[in-house]
Amino acid sequence: MDKEKDYLKPEYYENRELSWLKFNHRVLNEARDKNIPLLERLKFVSITSSNLDEFFMVRVASLKDMVHAGYKKKDIAGMTAKEQLEAINKDTRSLVEMQYSTYTRSLVPLLHNHGIEIISAYEELSEAQGEYVDRYFEETVYPVLTPMAVDASRPFPLIRNKSLNIAALLNKKGDKKEELEFATVQVPSVLSRIVQIPSSEEGQKAFILLEQVIERNIHRLFLNYHVVCAYPYRIMRNADLTIDEDEAEDLLQEIQKQLKKRQWGEVIRLEVEDKVDKRLLGILKEDLHIAQEDIFKINGPLDLTFLMKMYGIEGEDELRYPPYQPQRVPKIVPGEDIFEAIRKGDILLHHPYQTFDPVVDFIRQASVDPDVLAIKQTLYRVSGNSPIIASLAQAAENGKQVSVLVELKARFDEENNIVWAKKLEKAGCHVIYGLVGLKTHSKIALVVRKEEDGIRRYVHLGTGNYNDSTAKLYTDLGMFTCSEAIGEDATAVFNMLSGYSEPPSWNKLAVAPIWLRKRFLKLIKREMKHAQAGKEAFIRAKMNSLCDRDVIAALYEASAAGVQVDLVIRGICCLRVGIPGVSENITVHSIVGNFLEHSRIFWFHNDGQEEIYMGSADWMPRNLDRRVEIMFPVENETLMDQVRHILGTQLADNTKAHILKPDGNYEKIDKRGKRLVNSQQQFCEEARNALPKTVNVYQDRVFIPAEPVE
Amino acid sequence: MKITTFAAIYIGSYEVSLKVFEISAKQKIRSIDYVRSHVELGKDAFGKGVIGYELVEELCLILKEFRTIMDGYKVDAYEAFAGNVFRNVGNALFILDQIRLRTKIEVTVLSNSEHRLMDYKSLAVLPKFEKMIQKGAAVVNVGGGSMQITLFRKGTAITTQHIELGIMRIREKLTKIANMVSHYETQIQELIDKELDIFKRIYLKGSEIKYIIVMGDYIGDMAKGFSKKEEDGTIETERFIKLLNKWYKKSTEELSLELNLANEHDPLILPSVVLYKRLSEELNAKYIWVPGVNICDGIVCDYAGKNRMIYFEHDFEEDVLAAARNLAERYQGYSSHSEAVRNMAVVIFDAMKKVHGMGKRERLLLQVAAILHDCGRYVSLINQSECSYQIILATEIIGMTHVEREIVASAVKYNSQPLQPYSSVSGSMDQEGYMVVSKLAAILKIANAMDRSHRQKFKNIKASLQGRELVITVESPESIVLEKGLFPDYANSFEEVFSVKPRIREKKVF
Repeated sequence: MDKEKDYLKPEYYENRELSWLKFNHRVLNEARDKNIPLLERLKFVSITSSNLDEFFMVRVASLKDMVHAGYKKKDIAGMTAKEQLEAINKDTRSLVEMQYSTYTRSLVPLLHNHGIEIISAYEELSEAQGEYVDRYFEETVYPVLTPMAVDASRPFPLIRNKSLNIAALLNKKGDKKEELEFATVQVPSVLSRIVQIPSSEEGQKAFILLEQVIERNIHRLFLNYHVVCAYPYRIMRNADLTIDEDEAEDLLQEIQKQLKKRQWGEVIRLEVEDKVDKRLLGILKEDLHIAQEDIFKINGPLDLTFLMKMYGIEGEDELRYPPYQPQRVPKIVPGEDIFEAIRKGDILLHHPYQTFDPVVDFIRQASVDPDVLAIKQTLYRVSGNSPIIASLAQAAENGKQVSVLVELKARFDEENNIVWAKKLEKAGCHVIYGLVGLKTHSKIALVVRKEEDGIRRYVHLGTGNYNDSTAKLYTDLGMFTCSEAIGEDATAVFNMLSGYSEPPSWNKLAVAPIWLRKRFLKLIKREMKHAQAGKEAFIRAKMNSLCDRDVIAALYEASAAGVQVDLVIRGICCLRVGIPGVSENITVHSIVGNFLEHSRIFWFHNDGQEEIYMGSADWMPRNLDRRVEIMFPVENETLMDQVRHILGTQLADNTKAHILKPDGNYEKIDKRGKRLVNSQQQFCEEARNALPKTVNVYQDRVFIPAEPVE
Repeated sequence: MKITTFAAIYIGSYEVSLKVFEISAKQKIRSIDYVRSHVELGKDAFGKGVIGYELVEELCLILKEFRTIMDGYKVDAYEAFAGNVFRNVGNALFILDQIRLRTKIEVTVLSNSEHRLMDYKSLAVLPKFEKMIQKGAAVVNVGGGSMQITLFRKGTAITTQHIELGIMRIREKLTKIANMVSHYETQIQELIDKELDIFKRIYLKGSEIKYIIVMGDYIGDMAKGFSKKEEDGTIETERFIKLLNKWYKKSTEELSLELNLANEHDPLILPSVVLYKRLSEELNAKYIWVPGVNICDGIVCDYAGKNRMIYFEHDFEEDVLAAARNLAERYQGYSSHSEAVRNMAVVIFDAMKKVHGMGKRERLLLQVAAILHDCGRYVSLINQSECSYQIILATEIIGMTHVEREIVASAVKYNSQPLQPYSSVSGSMDQEGYMVVSKLAAILKIANAMDRSHRQKFKNIKASLQGRELVITVESPESIVLEKGLFPDYANSFEEVFSVKPRIREKKVF
């Protein structure tokens, strides 16, 4: 159909990687915000660095793979892999430049004003400091170093991915020819990157970077040599795991093999100090087989992720936000029977504003409750010493049927997951190690309880992982319910994940990879039909990324028909707003704040019979087609109001929100004359105020005698 | 409130399923979990005749998991059955033994009639069902290996026919030619038409059916998408056929997409579309109803009924009698004589209760035997007992198990023939069965003898046990010399079995 083709035109779409870089820019903007405490700003710089690292290791690497493989297909914005790499290169360089200019020109001077010095050149050390550093080197650093020379008999060593190293040019003492030899030594990752040294002034703090410590004493590593020059460098390798699953007899073993391989992918980026010696650079370029465009010359210390450690230094509390204490959920009283609380009605949880404890407690109570028959849960990115794992193991030991679906393919967490998965198995749980070809991304926990009038199922569904540490940093929503319809669906989900046939039909849940996409498209189309019939129609949704072509095309069609679409999208957004006749009714807000926005909400007006859903899936192809996801309806009226309030507040946010402009750039909202709304701060306040004030019930009515007048 | 948790396991030709229920007085039967696993037993069974080792392994693994699930729910009881697929297989006994040893699940192989009875029970609990069968309905149950069509008229089941044509069997038969033809719908249709034609000619003749009630795989998916349903949930047959005609020409992939199926290359889709289409066209009913129940629902209904946890409105015994009468009619052996014999037999049975120790079920069997005792005359006058025996054995009656049919058939045989000693019939029945046969045959003999002339001379028959005599009081305006005279012969065999002497006492009526 001609109409459909129109909405798929490449010029209507933004490239995914470039959109992501814009997101990283927004994070960097937080670092540039003068209103934010200094150490928080440092944290944001660190986050942009680690984000960029991951971006290179996964996204850029796969694009390079495509170029190598001769893959010429264009993406939804009409760019080939090669074109994307060029554009990314350009954007990344400007991002990195801004990173360092922010660090060097804004943050370092501010730190100086607060009495914190970060010494990035060992030449600046005072004598006393120098002595301290040298002693530190001798006692702590030197024993751990492994310098490696390169010559005819010793080939260029394999440099570890993401590691910081120092390269040096050496000249043998007494060698008249002055031949230069190359050597490299890794900056040990086992030691802290920042070393606190005695400050030259009273009451101040001084830190030095580890590579500076080594550089200052580098001559000690090469005793018979004269060190001509030494500069730090860092490489990034391709770390995308492509597991050939059909041959992988044992998925577990395959992942363990790949983990070892991860250290040795192709080098895709090299960072060096901008003042680096040309000859040194030449050698690195040749031996690492790296192209000129992948070399980044950095004006500052390499790898800014050390700033995260700076964030955590002792004292200096006034330079950070006061830590937020997650508040109690009003309907759940700690220590009381959580199943009873759920029976009274569905309960909504909003993290990190509200504590994650009820979820942990849910599993814990289930594990010791004699009436509980079974506990089933999907676990993805769970923390190592998680209390949930302990409860599940305990439940199995108490004779309950425990089924756990462990997602092994959680990138960069794989090693972590394997360890505790085996622990659970030992305790007697039935552990399902993921599904062939699909990543299990859904977040669902089910407890089956035998009660007086039959079996009742208690379900927890959420948008965030069962990880109590990230639950304090990410915003997420969760729901407890004991509705029969959802309970039946939950059982069917776990049956399906165990390898049985899918259920004949679903009651309430929409599950990916088969049903979810169709559901979303149907909901969007239905809204469009309402608009075409002249009724009020709107879609309000929040998610982390939007890059699925079919969904975007459907949104365009809906907008063209008159549906008002307001989206809160944290990161990648491949949709363009303001295209005449296509997306004039669409607005995109991106909130980047203290907490990482992670929740997903979908609100459809449906001519007054509103439907609100929450789920684990974003509007991305990987969520809709290649992962197991669950979207669930919120049907309890009170909860619906709560969710409407949350999404409404986020759409009204004008402090931390950026708005997408038709030209593709994001801008902060003009706050002049408007009441300031900071959604995250507001939710913190609301969570605190939601708890009933404790009234002193023991206060009797008493006549208080007055004090005699003196 | 007492709640019983019950698990039903069924092993079919391409699927093994487990359904867990809660049975309670308040909520009746409530399903709490339903798990299905795909195992293609039919492939081996219908193709080779034995189920291979690998498939048995797979089956045992799944059943073991089912065991874990059952234990997880702490079920109070379970029943496990296997269907058609095991009936035709040579190594069935070994497989059942393996299952029992490895999974601790006792599996019983269902005879076809038992299978159908359970299906029937799962329908009988649905309120709509009673209304539909009053107006004439055909219940069609399509399985992997075979198909069962049961006709209902005025609320009772009158005939049930088993056709060895199931979805999987069709596919297996045609895999050989699948490569030769790109659209083998025509071939499937030819296969189906042949069987349906015979059924139509012989059994459907004269029957008016308003509803087809369909149970089977894929029909649920096909009916699901149907938006235009009548208020009672049925679909107009014409509309259904139109839809199926549209699908008839599509490829497997296109169909899977339309029906939202998980397997895009499901080879069973095409045969099922053709089968349902032909059925709808040939049975000529106005509406189709897909109740969405399956054998597991039947298993739990059967269990609940047997343990008096639920109450069936439907009278299954009436079905048996109606089916027997219908069968007798077909062989033109039904007449007022049969009814008279039936009546007399029941009177004698009731009077002899203290002596014969048989129960309600045997009373029913006796009635069936009485209704059918002459059916063999259709085939041969001289050899009628043997023919009756064969006919009864060969005809399925819904509500009667295979064993019960054997008993009725033997009772009819020994009505005319002298009773054989147990040793000669030990192959087809056990001692208990043999005892029932002898008792029923004895009663039948004298009941039959009382209407030797087939003129229903006796009115107001009463029987009572007096000491060691069974006194049968009859009123008759006509001469009963014939009956009285020939009576002693039959009386002897009666006395042999029961140690009670029957005697006719005439009460003159003017």
